[in-house]
Amino acid sequence: MLCVHDLHITRGQGSERHAVELPRLELAAGELIAVVGPSGCGKSTLLEALGLLLAPDRLARFTLGEPGRDLAALLRTNATAELAQVRAQDMGFMLQNGGLLPYLSVRDNISLPRRLAGMAPGSERIRHACATLGLDALMNKRPAALSIGERQRTAFVRAIAHEPRILLADEPTAALDPQAGSRLFGLMTSLVEELGMTALVVSHDRQLVADFSLPRLTAELTTEGCRFVDTR
Amino acid sequence: MSILAKRTALIVHLALQDLWHERKISFCIVASLVAVIAPLLLLFGLKHGVVTQLQEELLRDPRNLEVRMLTSASHDAEWLNALRQREDVGFAVGQVRSLNAQADLYTDARQFLHNVEMIPSAAGDPLLADLEAVPQSASMVLSASAARRLDVSAGEGLTLGVNRRRDGKRERGRLDIRVAGVLEPARYSRPAAFVDSQLLVELERFRDGRASETLGVTTGIAPGDTPVRYARARLYASDIDVVEGLVKALEAEHIDTHSRLAEIQNVNAINRLLGLIFRVIALTALAGCLASMAGAFIANIDRKRQQYAVLRLLGLHKTGIALHVIAQASLMALLAFVIGLGLYAASAMLFNQLLGASDITTGIAARLTPLQLLAALALTLGVALLVALLGVVRAFRIQPAESLREL
Repeated sequence: MLCVHDLHITRGQGSERHAVELPRLELAAGELIAVVGPSGCGKSTLLEALGLLLAPDRLARFTLGEPGRDLAALLRTNATAELAQVRAQDMGFMLQNGGLLPYLSVRDNISLPRRLAGMAPGSERIRHACATLGLDALMNKRPAALSIGERQRTAFVRAIAHEPRILLADEPTAALDPQAGSRLFGLMTSLVEELGMTALVVSHDRQLVADFSLPRLTAELTTEGCRFVDTR
Repeated sequence: MSILAKRTALIVHLALQDLWHERKISFCIVASLVAVIAPLLLLFGLKHGVVTQLQEELLRDPRNLEVRMLTSASHDAEWLNALRQREDVGFAVGQVRSLNAQADLYTDARQFLHNVEMIPSAAGDPLLADLEAVPQSASMVLSASAARRLDVSAGEGLTLGVNRRRDGKRERGRLDIRVAGVLEPARYSRPAAFVDSQLLVELERFRDGRASETLGVTTGIAPGDTPVRYARARLYASDIDVVEGLVKALEAEHIDTHSRLAEIQNVNAINRLLGLIFRVIALTALAGCLASMAGAFIANIDRKRQQYAVLRLLGLHKTGIALHVIAQASLMALLAFVIGLGLYAASAMLFNQLLGASDITTGIAARLTPLQLLAALALTLGVALLVALLGVVRAFRIQPAESLREL
């Protein structure tokens, strides 16, 4: 489903220069991989690159879907409109702080990516996910009225609402207490598997990753910066 | 509904929800706009009201349009025709003599008026404008004082008499003539009769010794076809604003004139001065409003950076972001205009009541024409659009990746 070979990104200049490498990553439908590593090693940079928000220096292969669409070519030619379209259609982003729009209800926040893509606002998948995550009673509330855990669950449903092929999550449990974090992680892994998506979840919580015995993409420090290695 | 229309509606709806969600901030921005729009509308309404009132007073009195020629000469009919063809001339009729011709008017021995001024007139004479009566070959319009002293009213008949001396003999010409109408006292104060210009020519020729069938005198030089020559013309400008140009054109012909140009120039000076004051105030207010609205709006966009970044991440294009920003600015401007208009209407009503209560200010009123209101609306939306463009430039710098980075 997802296949990345020899991804190389550098950020910053001079002494600030930081290189991030991903030699090889292959994910099948339903697979979730955790990206672990110390703060500042470049986890967010990796996520931005895979989210087509950052142009890499070097990229041998980047395909998404069955049959895979060649995203490396789009990045090479800097086809902005197509990249934005792939991002809006095939990718779901789950942000550290939720990134919910404060002026929309839970229902409207969740349906927004679908409506922006010209799809019907509701779907069976959303109803199922909301029921599983216990959001049914919160649908008409605004984000300000939700707990952090409820906000992150809403952000998760919004990230998968438009049925993307890949979910990119940036420390979704960072602001949660361990119990709530663990519950959200469990729900995420099971739904990703159930829906046949792929997912990259950045987390610095090694304990949580170990508890769920998730496959890991581990950061290894190099002289230039950091290399992410699939340690399955 | 097409996808594009659906998307546009969605973005506008999002913009509205955002405004409503932050209604306190939105209200502050709207209020700062209202604080400029309402007083400006009132100020402009008053200025327009005062100037309109002054101009209407000028227009109400046709004497303000009159350009009296002081210099007499001998002009031909072509000169008069050329004068009539001018765009700035509203009415012109030739005067044969430099002084007004005179004649006696009477109904019987007791109602007798010696040497009444005979003033040439024709259709379109501004002095007779509210009468709808035009002197014909056998009818005339009397000034109020002449009618009073002769004790006649419109529709009645009287006799016109002229004397001449020929070969030492006194001869008298007579014409029975009908009163077509009587002028208002304010229009002409002296006893006078407005007669058809042809009749006046006939009277003058009679005095020069010609025989006149019209006046019932067959002795004298046989009436020939000598062309009429004019000493002057009764001249009225077509509009208040062209009096000045007309006076200058006549001066170029070496004709001295007397007109109410000074009064007209006074009103114009007041208009210009008020216009200048208004423009300075409006410009100052507009600059302040622009600065405050731009500041508030851009600060607002900066505050909501992450929201815009998220919208971009969710697939909203730059055009969508621009639409979102412009929709918000226009909606606030529109709301401010409606509230400002309401405040203007309320204060104008109060002002007009107060102005109407005093004798001096009666007739002066704050008023705006629909076109002026439309212009004010366009200006308001223009300000909003300018502010929105600044906001759009700002919002365009926000990258979708910013939503991933910690704030």
